[in-house]
Amino acid sequence: MVSTLVHAGFALVVAAGLLGDAADRRALGAILLVVVLPEADALLGPVYPGAHRTVGHTVVLPVAAGLLLYYDTQQREHSWLRARIADRWIGVAWVALVVHLTAHVALDWTHLEGVNLFWPLRDAFTTLEGELTWSLADGFIQTFVDVRVDPATGQTRVGTDVTGTRASVHVNNPVEPDDPTALAEAEVIDRRFPVAGRGWRLYLLGLGLFTIVARRLQSAPPADA
Amino acid sequence: MVPTLVNAALGGLLAAALLGRAFDRRTVALVVGAAVVPALGSAVGVALGWTSTAALQSAWLPLFGTLVLLVDTRWRDRSVLRARYGWHGVRVAWVALASVSVAGVAPDLFGTPGVPLLYPLESVRYSVDGLLLYSTQEGVVQTLSAGGETPGILPLASTGGVSGTTDGRPGAVALVETGWQAVVVVTGALTLSLRLAGVGSGHRDVAPTRATEETSETTETPETLETAETPETTETNARGR
Repeated sequence: MVSTLVHAGFALVVAAGLLGDAADRRALGAILLVVVLPEADALLGPVYPGAHRTVGHTVVLPVAAGLLLYYDTQQREHSWLRARIADRWIGVAWVALVVHLTAHVALDWTHLEGVNLFWPLRDAFTTLEGELTWSLADGFIQTFVDVRVDPATGQTRVGTDVTGTRASVHVNNPVEPDDPTALAEAEVIDRRFPVAGRGWRLYLLGLGLFTIVARRLQSAPPADA
Repeated sequence: MVPTLVNAALGGLLAAALLGRAFDRRTVALVVGAAVVPALGSAVGVALGWTSTAALQSAWLPLFGTLVLLVDTRWRDRSVLRARYGWHGVRVAWVALASVSVAGVAPDLFGTPGVPLLYPLESVRYSVDGLLLYSTQEGVVQTLSAGGETPGILPLASTGGVSGTTDGRPGAVALVETGWQAVVVVTGALTLSLRLAGVGSGHRDVAPTRATEETSETTETPETLETAETPETTETNARGR
């Protein structure tokens, strides 16, 4: 897993960026909770094989939540949510959804076996890996998304690399640090809690801390600014 | 080296997160521009065969900038910056400095080939790249800092000298090299476009309560939320829709 701390660090920058002046401690705290909680799908692993990076890392649930939020707050005559929470928190909820999709789901998508992106609609772990270059001779070339035309049927297939299904893919985590069958036979279990697996992840963690410290050091604008 | 587009995206995220009331199209352009200065500068240097532009990637520019801004805005009786450009100028200067350092230089420190932190004092590139974790069997495991002897003054791993860091094919520019960089670039672009389109602090849902929030920014009392939710603001929103 990209460490939860790294998700939290990047989430803080994006959340502060989207909220601007509205980013106070309570709003950032609430967003962090939304971003970090889905990591608990690792706890489901022992009872529902392949749950980690499936249940909490699908885009289907956040998109459904977004549609529901849109319907309730924008389309209905009497919004159920607006009657209960301040308008400001509806904005925070939108930001939390975006931050969860970018700082959590998308980052894990690029790491190890990726995430089960469209579970439960489609059971397939995919990874986002590749590069984008521009050159005088070839123009733009990207290798992230595979666009292939099947020569037999003429159908176009678009997608990122598929690594397997819930049955075949197990992403190691502190709850199940190895494949469940290997764990059953293991004599000692080494649970590893990562802080940062690579320099760039340590950077994203530091970027979040820097943002929070810098915002605290900033002076309030004068009344006429 | 981290592609320049990634530096720009990180600068954009910092601009959105830190500019506050000074956030607008022009100041964002300035802060993003500051983020790409070290990368562009050293690219020009490599193209022309100069080594001296490596100084743009050293720690001196951030340190010197901090010193100048501190002296001008804190220690002098009358700040030149504030007198000419006001509160906005001071805020933009600090964020641009953060952008050069954190979005421009730091990403390269946490990867290969690293940055020459002390150039021109010494021509050694430093890099902080490794893992840090807690294992129930082995305790804290880290490969970030170099153990034992290091070639430079600082206790960090080194990846070689200043010169000879041309990477990539000639005539080709790497815009995004890995998955995480793609996420950073897309997130940065999304954040900036949403904010410039007026979402966020100026969001329609948030706008009516903004005046209350601004005064409460330093206190952060929970009461402000209740006071903000007056029937009047709800009405404005209903009409807004």
